[in-house]
Amino acid sequence: MTLTLFDQFSSPQLLGIPLILISMLFPTLLLPSPNNRWITNRTSTLQLWAIKLTTKQLMLPLNKPGHKWTLILLSLMVMLLMTNLLGLLPYTFTPTTQLSMNMALAFPLWLGTILIGLRNQPSISLGHILPEGTPTPLIPALILIETISLAIRPLALGVRLTANLTAGHLLIQLISTATMALLYIAPAISIIVSSILLLLTILELAVAMIQAYVFVLLLSLYLQENI
Amino acid sequence: QHRRCELFLFPPFCNTLNGLFLTIYRLLHAKRTFHASQQCSAPLPPLPEKPGQVRYGLIPEEFFQFLYPKTGVTGPYMLGTGLLLYLLSKEIYVINHETVAGASILAVLIYVIKKYGATVAAFADKLNEEKIASALAVKNDAIKDLETAIEQEKKEQWRVEGRSYLFDAKRNNIAMLLEANYRERLLTVYNEVKKRLDYQVAMQHLKRQKEQDHMIQWVEKNVVQSITPQQQKESIAKCIIDLKALSKSAHATA
Repeated sequence: MTLTLFDQFSSPQLLGIPLILISMLFPTLLLPSPNNRWITNRTSTLQLWAIKLTTKQLMLPLNKPGHKWTLILLSLMVMLLMTNLLGLLPYTFTPTTQLSMNMALAFPLWLGTILIGLRNQPSISLGHILPEGTPTPLIPALILIETISLAIRPLALGVRLTANLTAGHLLIQLISTATMALLYIAPAISIIVSSILLLLTILELAVAMIQAYVFVLLLSLYLQENI
Repeated sequence: QHRRCELFLFPPFCNTLNGLFLTIYRLLHAKRTFHASQQCSAPLPPLPEKPGQVRYGLIPEEFFQFLYPKTGVTGPYMLGTGLLLYLLSKEIYVINHETVAGASILAVLIYVIKKYGATVAAFADKLNEEKIASALAVKNDAIKDLETAIEQEKKEQWRVEGRSYLFDAKRNNIAMLLEANYRERLLTVYNEVKKRLDYQVAMQHLKRQKEQDHMIQWVEKNVVQSITPQQQKESIAKCIIDLKALSKSAHATA
């Protein structure tokens, strides 16, 4: 079957049955199941170590009520990490390339932080809109700007993830198409292009992990402001 | 354990979805059918030392062993090559840009695993070792503390034996202190009494001296008074004659 460049972004289906749910749940299969041992095998030990490290890094700046968000933020991060990493394999569909899914993840969580802030400490929450020490004539303009910046956060979160992953995947496809096309015309250039592809793949691996972390880190920052 | 379905839209859809989740969950965690078998939780069977043997990171050794009796050593390789060529030639697997992308990601993955695999495994082993070591350290520290306590107890018991000597020494010490204190006070008393007696003696001496001095003065005064001028002249002349005689004898001897 001949693939176009954008076939990897179309929602997967088998004879009309949408497989999107399975593809979203697939990454969980890669995680080792919880063991009732004290000393586990290497995979479980490494997973535990990694999760402990990230949890400490992510959750230390938050105060006590913020620690209630640990489970959702950590599981979100693990899911994003696994989904992004799996998407680098050929012929896979990455759910996080779909804007709909990323907005569905970003918007409710961001809204949750805002509502918590407005409910528990409304004046402090609203006070974040005006930074300290602004000269008086600038205040109206700054309030407008800060409100817009606040409202655009969920959009930014979702679009950042989508754009990074989509762009990365698309670049990989483009450069591999170029490699293949140049293979018969000028094989030497093809080899150079394939080395670019290798570097790009390494970058994509890094981006996949970083974007997951950044998503959750920003959410935790928004939470820090409001809780 | 049941996983709750969060889609509240259609109950029948929800039921089938719930059933799907349950099936998937049971498939994934089949080894946790605690109530259905004779499994016992403790003691847990030990983890195997090595993972299942795999060739080329993908195909288990058991597959090669399975084909060995009928096709020998090269059997699985022939099967693999033939399968691959069949898929390629019949275009069941089409070579397109995804192949190249897949090849590159495969290359990166294999490089990373070959280079850092052993390090990561050693790190995981070290984590486990540290866990065990810390627990062992707790146990060993407790044992050491108890042993130290036992030794100290034995030393205390030995000390108890010498208790009577200690008390004797202390008693002697206290007696000496008391004695010294008593003698000191005795000395103080003696000194005080001596001071008072010395004072009385000094007073008597002074009185005697004063009386003597007074008497001498009175005698001298009376004698001087009683010397008449006539007597004075006579005594002076006599003194002059004596002096002359003396000077004469001094001249004679010199």
